[in-house]
Amino acid sequence: MKSPFPSRTKKADQAGNGAAPDENGAVVEEPKPSRKEKLSGHKDLAVHHGGEAGKDVAGWVDSRTNATGIFTAMMSRHVPKGTNWFYTLGSATMFIFAMQAITGVILSMYYTPSATQAYASITHLTNDVFLGEFVRGLHKWGASLMIILIFLHMARTFFFGAYKYPRELNWVIGVVLLILTMVMGLTGYLLPFDQRSFWATIVANNITASGPVVGPYLADFLRAGPDFSATTLSRFYALHMLVVPGLIGGLIGAHLFLVVKLGTTAPPWVRAARPKGAQRSEAVVAGVAVADSDEVSVSSNGVVANGSVEAVAEEADQAKSKTEAPEAAAGPEVTEAESAPEEPEAPEEPEAPADDEETTS
Amino acid sequence: MNNREKEEYLREYEQLKKKGKPFFPYAIMKDSVMFLVVAAVLITMSLVLGAEMGPKADPTTTTYTPRPEWYFFFLFELLRVLKPPALVPIATVGIPTICMVLLLALPFYDRGAERIPWKRPIATITGILIIIAMAKLTLLGASAGSPSEIELATKPQYEQGKAIVAESGCLACHAIGENGAHGGLGPDLTEIGSKIPRSAIKQSVEIGPGIMPSFRGLGEEDLNAVADYLASLN
Repeated sequence: MKSPFPSRTKKADQAGNGAAPDENGAVVEEPKPSRKEKLSGHKDLAVHHGGEAGKDVAGWVDSRTNATGIFTAMMSRHVPKGTNWFYTLGSATMFIFAMQAITGVILSMYYTPSATQAYASITHLTNDVFLGEFVRGLHKWGASLMIILIFLHMARTFFFGAYKYPRELNWVIGVVLLILTMVMGLTGYLLPFDQRSFWATIVANNITASGPVVGPYLADFLRAGPDFSATTLSRFYALHMLVVPGLIGGLIGAHLFLVVKLGTTAPPWVRAARPKGAQRSEAVVAGVAVADSDEVSVSSNGVVANGSVEAVAEEADQAKSKTEAPEAAAGPEVTEAESAPEEPEAPEEPEAPADDEETTS
Repeated sequence: MNNREKEEYLREYEQLKKKGKPFFPYAIMKDSVMFLVVAAVLITMSLVLGAEMGPKADPTTTTYTPRPEWYFFFLFELLRVLKPPALVPIATVGIPTICMVLLLALPFYDRGAERIPWKRPIATITGILIIIAMAKLTLLGASAGSPSEIELATKPQYEQGKAIVAESGCLACHAIGENGAHGGLGPDLTEIGSKIPRSAIKQSVEIGPGIMPSFRGLGEEDLNAVADYLASLN
């Protein structure tokens, strides 16, 4: 691999790679453009100019990762019309998770995960270390805030119907993230090793053990044996420090990937088309519809593969025939909204009896 | 949602997106303001509420309060509601598991195309009811303290056992007379002496059946005193 720095490029030159230094002492890499082009597709980035090392490094990274392109695409992607403050809850949850990670790392620098020393190390951190209690407070209350924000974020997703097509998978990932966050709360609660946390964990473990089939085994695994012992604390520590945060981090990545790929939803009552004056003539309707068909079929989602063009063309035909009647001026979006409520009721019904158990218990 | 509705949704969404604003700076701006608000709340909470430490964990202790973090109160309250021993596994594992499966699978059984909350009343009302139920259970769990006083009169020879029971946190889950957790995690102990023999009482306290923790740490003498006192309740 070639380096943009002169000292090493000279070696490379001697080694007979054929790169020729220009008058500035930098190397114009001509012999292997094909490889760089294969990696990046940007021929211009493969050329280095002397005196711009920063740019060179950025270019070197960029030609291999397309980082700038991805970043620009992420930043300039549009959020739909009507996006409001409710849509900040997800990123706020992620922000709190980042805070928890940072304060957690600081706490781990002072914490001793042993049954005999855990309490003393936390006491030392709280009472003696500069800002120790403050950081511990951030971590402790950050956990509560994270739970609150996750529930608010989930409530927004639920009531806005944002878990529906095409975002079903992201809902599933989100619920797993909620469960993992609660596991974090449970495992972290034991770590200070005071009376409250100790006995709450004992009861939590007994609850786990009361579960059918796997319950006793799971409880034994968590306790690291049939009884609560010194190993239990280190086990909870490992889960809290390594396993669960790793899973959460990975799943947040997947969650975000899908958010960027599919886009955030608009509030469900926001419509793209204005109810009146949207269409004045056949020509406009047809024009809009055709333009839309292009949009959908080339959309980055990749969800609409086949049949969209035909369907939209059909839509355009319908719209054409409707333009005689002034009511139809609202366009296909509004007619969809009015006709929809009849159908979805039926599939929702199995939800009601099942959820009754939850609410009445 | 059939294919036509899916396509309509995507087409509508594509238009909404076109009419929307770029993520940077508009959404970033809102997110950043939200970050600042969250950070301010968090810092205030940490400064005002601090991070108290209880006494050190002591497995041989006689006084403790098994209280979880507030966001698990609703689960603990669920246990209080369903107290018969046969129902305990349903409350501890059954209902939470069913709820989680229902939550995970939500997009797969609610497949309607409608998204506006007031046009899908079943989902919206169910969601609101669940929120109310969870809030109520959490409040109940928050208000359920663990008293350490037993007003029920007893004979002088059982006073020692009564004192140990009172300070051992039994009343966090059990009721004795007017005190303790009525409808709590554990059975009412007011007349326990007439229901099961002293030996069984002692064994229960020692082993901690089901979700009850073991009180073996009390030591033989205190265990006997507790068993004597509880056996005298009838």
